[in-house]
Amino acid sequence: MTIFTVNKTINKTIYQAFGLHFDSEILLPELLQRQDTQEADVNIEIQDLSEWRSVVNTRENNFTMQSIGFMFEIPNTALFCIQDGKRIGIHPFPDADMDKIRLYVLGTCMGVLLLQRGILPLHGSAVVINNKAYAFVGESGAGKSTLASTFVQSGFQLLSDDVIAVSYENGEPVVHPAYPQQKLWKESLDLFGMSEDQFKPLHDEVSKFAIPVTKHFHNKTVPLAGVFELVKMDSEYVAMREMNRLERLHAMMLHTYRGALIPRLGLKQWHFSSAAALAGELFALQILRPTTGFTAPELMNQIMRKIYQEEMQGDTIYSTEHFN
Amino acid sequence: MMNKSLIGSDQVVVQNEQYIASDMNGETVMMNVESGKYYNLGMVGGRIWELSSSPVSLENIVNTLVAEYDVTYDVCLEQVSEFAGQMFKEGLIEVVAEKDGLRVE
Repeated sequence: MTIFTVNKTINKTIYQAFGLHFDSEILLPELLQRQDTQEADVNIEIQDLSEWRSVVNTRENNFTMQSIGFMFEIPNTALFCIQDGKRIGIHPFPDADMDKIRLYVLGTCMGVLLLQRGILPLHGSAVVINNKAYAFVGESGAGKSTLASTFVQSGFQLLSDDVIAVSYENGEPVVHPAYPQQKLWKESLDLFGMSEDQFKPLHDEVSKFAIPVTKHFHNKTVPLAGVFELVKMDSEYVAMREMNRLERLHAMMLHTYRGALIPRLGLKQWHFSSAAALAGELFALQILRPTTGFTAPELMNQIMRKIYQEEMQGDTIYSTEHFN
Repeated sequence: MMNKSLIGSDQVVVQNEQYIASDMNGETVMMNVESGKYYNLGMVGGRIWELSSSPVSLENIVNTLVAEYDVTYDVCLEQVSEFAGQMFKEGLIEVVAEKDGLRVE
């Protein structure tokens, strides 16, 4: 059992992400560190979960709630257990790749953890414009990261490039910064003139690369001012349309990070209510974009114009809509 | 295509449990868990949904609404009956029984 002989007496490193402090037994170089505190909201620990292996490693029981927490197993990698939004237990398998374990800790485990804590995680990228967060959501390959990257290249700051953690402060939706990393497809690297050998390929996403963003990372919680849903379409130009309330509700439901796990977490009603609360007064536009040709800079300009128009209309952004 | 389906005042209705509902700026929005279809019932529609959380006769719903809103019984009954008919058609509510047992007409 050599894998469990972790020296727990070493100085702990407190990491910060999604508005939470993490005390982690595994190194998480992607995350920002906090030197000023030893207090943590969440513990990430190597945990002997051997007794649960036989329970969880069936098709029916993988990714389910067990008495000790939400558990899932990734073959040849690890068994994970997320408990009450407070603890992520990792039982690594022999010869497991630490990079791969980290990918699941920062991905699925974080998603489940946020859901358990009542923080709505949206799947997409978020940037800061005029001290407010704007989120880009959409299906995989819709161009969320590429668009976010275009904003970053133009000097705007990034809040997240995968999981957008939304909660409420004084009744207003806010976005908590994730961690300073971008995920880009190889094609996008080429377009931005970056070379792929400078960056680390992400596990299981062979043509996606992790790119650190340091000075362009926004490390403060900011109000969520709007959401853009990116949709690929067969056309030659970009079209934008305002979404009505039920469309916004649907988009929030659809683009929830790891939304498929929500019924298994027993959070269906909470999820629907959270999505409805968020969608109620949100400024949201659907962006229909051509499938071919690189349009990110053009898209960025159009989005900036829309945001400018919205901000001209007043402090709080309400969208106009008509029902039935 | 079809004439409007109406629910009579003595019919007893109840929420279909396949739906989850929530408040959205004072209005009730719903989703069918199976089909993923969304509905907006509005404010009064949401109240009707709320009142049918356990089996309730349409007459009782109307009586409650008449007390809460500025509307006459007859007008309210007509509108609620039509609205409940739509809800029934969409499967949002079920008709469980007649108030005084089965009626034969």
